[in-house]
Amino acid sequence: MQWWCAAQGIPWDWSWRPYPGVWLFVACLCLAYRAFTRGAVPSRLEVVRFAGGVLILWIALDWPVGALGSGYLASVHMVQFLLIALLAPPLLIAGLPRAALERVRGGRALSLPGFLARPLIALLFFNAIVIATHWPEVVDGLMASQAGSLALDMAWLGGGLIFWWPVVSPVPHRPRFPLGVRICYLIASTVLMTLPYVFLTFAELPFYATYELAPPVGTLSAGEDQRLAGLIMRIGGGTILWSAAGIIFWFWYRSENDATR
Amino acid sequence: MRPARIVAAAAVACGVGLAGSACASPDAAIDRTEGTGELRGLAIEQPFEAPEFALTDSRGRRFDFRPETAGSLTLLFFGYTNCPDICPVQMAVLGAALDDLSYPERREIEVVFVTTDPARDTPDRLRSWLDLFDASFVGLYGEMETVNEIQAGFRLPPARIEGTSPPPGAGEPYLVGHATPVVAVTGDGVARALYPSGVRQTDWRHDLPLLLRLNRSVSKPGGEAGPSGG
Repeated sequence: MQWWCAAQGIPWDWSWRPYPGVWLFVACLCLAYRAFTRGAVPSRLEVVRFAGGVLILWIALDWPVGALGSGYLASVHMVQFLLIALLAPPLLIAGLPRAALERVRGGRALSLPGFLARPLIALLFFNAIVIATHWPEVVDGLMASQAGSLALDMAWLGGGLIFWWPVVSPVPHRPRFPLGVRICYLIASTVLMTLPYVFLTFAELPFYATYELAPPVGTLSAGEDQRLAGLIMRIGGGTILWSAAGIIFWFWYRSENDATR
Repeated sequence: MRPARIVAAAAVACGVGLAGSACASPDAAIDRTEGTGELRGLAIEQPFEAPEFALTDSRGRRFDFRPETAGSLTLLFFGYTNCPDICPVQMAVLGAALDDLSYPERREIEVVFVTTDPARDTPDRLRSWLDLFDASFVGLYGEMETVNEIQAGFRLPPARIEGTSPPPGAGEPYLVGHATPVVAVTGDGVARALYPSGVRQTDWRHDLPLLLRLNRSVSKPGGEAGPSGG
């Protein structure tokens, strides 16, 4: 039995498989949230947001999405990326109560994350992770083992948290990171993500041995699967980032309106 | 992918038991360092004459291997359509790699798939399965004993139904252990190289022009390389 989803090279079937490492991870996240919010009771909306983030992570990491994405289909691997790096982190962050964050603000333990969450550094750090974790040698090397697959998933999650922190943190990390600049920050990321998209979508040959040589699932060829992965990255990632930019724009517009009244 | 990685991939395939005994026998004939040298596939150290044999193709016609493939670069594979992993991957990778070739180059290559599961691989099933990869792939079937004799002629281990004794009843699922390499046979009827599971499109793209060049040199009258040539 595997504890974390990884490429195994065995034929795919739709019979359920347990991944206890994923359950343990999800349980640890919930316990950490409970411990972190002790003494700073979160609102119902914050709990719902955090629970939504945890649920998205669970879906991305567990069977069948986790299993298909780690060893069979590059397109599902890309769905995992979107869920883990772009969708779950803003919900997790938005689920943290402000009072609890104020309590730990300035603590020594947060000095490194605090440094990485500076907008320009966060943008570069996240996109470096995106490019590195889509590099063929990295993907093929990591997906072959459970520890490697775990490392890749955690890199996405860590990168996603750092990327989203300046945008959605309940405690303004950078007071001089106005809403208009946040929109530019998100749009800049869609531009930077074009690089892996172009490589995946327009490559003549399959990039990843893991998916090219995987036992077949469905009728997609390895090349079609890879092109679909590129489109998912482009359309799915673009939709998430542009939607977030749209929401921020709406807040910005409202705050400007309120200020002129 | 370097030959060492291909050997490693083949070893992994053996290790997980999917290829059964498929990898042990061919290894003895493989020169990983010399032979054609440039190939990413495994050059056969001492190229040998392919056996003469005749089977029935998926359209019910007799297919005499040597005369039918004379002059062509033939890529021969033994497998079965219910194979859950190696066969569809080998065929898909090969089919995609052949798509990259020009029309004249593509016409010089014949892909022949011999079923190691004649009980389930009816001609229709064989045809429709091969059509998923390339409609020009030739599907052959015959008695299991005959197919195993042919495999022995290519120095490949025999195919066998795995893990069932007595043989499975009608409709009962089973796996067939079989050799995993694609055998490259030049137009003079000489087996030159093996491509075990783990070979990628990029490897075929590298090797096919080299194999075609070799094929042209040995297939024309008075060609240079015989069975012992490179």
